[in-house]
Amino acid sequence: MTGEHITQEQADEFAIGSLEPASEHAVTVHLAECPACRDIVRDSERLAARFAMSSPLRRPPSHLKDRVLAAAGIRRPGPLRRVAGYARTAAGIAAVFVAVAAFTGMVWMRGEMSGLRDDDERLQRKIDEALSQEVEIAALTRKLDDQEKEAARLADAATGDQDLIVALLSNNTRIADVVPAAEDSTSIGRLVWDGDQKRVWFVASDLPQRPAGETYQLWVNSGGKYYSLGTFAADPDGFARHQTIVPEGITSYDTAVVTIERAGGSPIRQGPTVFLVYDLSRLKD
Amino acid sequence: MGPQGNPETAGIRNVGRTVVFARPAEAELASRADWPDEALMLAIASRDELAFAVLYDRYVDLVYSASFRILADAGLAEDTSQDVFVRLWRRPEAFIADRGRFLSWLMSVTRNRAVDELRARGRRRRREGGPLGEPDEAAEPLFATHPPDPQSTAELHEEQLAVRTALRDLPGEQKTALELAYFGGFTQQEIAARLHEPLGTVKTRIRLGMQKLRKSLEVRG
Repeated sequence: MTGEHITQEQADEFAIGSLEPASEHAVTVHLAECPACRDIVRDSERLAARFAMSSPLRRPPSHLKDRVLAAAGIRRPGPLRRVAGYARTAAGIAAVFVAVAAFTGMVWMRGEMSGLRDDDERLQRKIDEALSQEVEIAALTRKLDDQEKEAARLADAATGDQDLIVALLSNNTRIADVVPAAEDSTSIGRLVWDGDQKRVWFVASDLPQRPAGETYQLWVNSGGKYYSLGTFAADPDGFARHQTIVPEGITSYDTAVVTIERAGGSPIRQGPTVFLVYDLSRLKD
Repeated sequence: MGPQGNPETAGIRNVGRTVVFARPAEAELASRADWPDEALMLAIASRDELAFAVLYDRYVDLVYSASFRILADAGLAEDTSQDVFVRLWRRPEAFIADRGRFLSWLMSVTRNRAVDELRARGRRRRREGGPLGEPDEAAEPLFATHPPDPQSTAELHEEQLAVRTALRDLPGEQKTALELAYFGGFTQQEIAARLHEPLGTVKTRIRLGMQKLRKSLEVRG
């Protein structure tokens, strides 16, 4: 599909929502890179959308408007305590979520720190026992250094987690599905764009590690131009989390891709595409 | 243009160089009900709460009705309608003005939200008023509308009439296949299994149905 253009029949099937998931995926991937086919599909989607107008008209309950306005933060519903209750419930759930996340993080960090202290004690005993063996001392010292670096990395990760949680709770954050370019790929990912903190996260799992000399590179398209948001690698478990700052002068993006580039990154997008973010081409919020 | 081809750029934030809407004059600010949809969306992008209220009044019946038809549940239809309008308020830039009419976009968003809800809950709806494909003409209108703008309501009514007439002219099996896909959220294979028909037959019905619908609506404008 990637090399072939979409037929009118496929566009109609895509618009009406009748394609099988694998075919829909193939069309979606193609659309992300083909403006001509996007025009065809948009025409089909406009036609399909008119179906919705064939439904018998029903009047929604009068309280719906208050619900909508309250949820949009436009005005507080007067008599609709139920809506306020929902808002309080939502706020409560959010607070519980944050509290649980914080508590879990504290417990986890405490466990990690406790573990590190235990490791330090064991390490110290070994150092005491091996004072006369300089080679072993050097090796154990290196191990201690590694653990300290790991502790620092975990602390950074915990800070990053907190920033990500803040972003996920923000109304001004866009979370976009990421579509793998290869149909048989099991990789999944999300692009989190936090307009408040001016930060971007890309997270993915089941991502193969690149061989030496290659790296993953994240790009966003804004105003018709691709901007690099940096390079990243997957860990041995196939997990990747890349966090960066939104480049100066960019307030939003149209599409984003992840490519494979040479180690150190490329100044222009030229390597094969691994992931695509597709959320504007289709008439879908 | 990137080496592999960049998606085109568009959006309300670029509206100054892509689409130019006539901004209503100051004297007309008090009567937003007369504004076209796209002008209201521009105002909403500037956080105009009255514009949002006007747009809500104009289309909430359509959004709710379409959601109800897909979900067959008043509570879920309310939730979906709320979700659609709240997202419209929070992210008006999601509507790309030069890519088509606002109403088509709104209906597409509504359908996608409702079908997502349908699939997420893993249940199939109970069809409003009986088997698929026959909107209950006698049920419309179920209420007396009190729209803010008679002209837009008349245009809406004409559009609905054109769509219904076009659907009525379709052979029943084609209309059923289209409605099972669009309102039921079924894939072609699921439709074939549900109707006990070969997959190729279902694909043909959808293809011919879309062709005829396109031609019919083009003729009717």
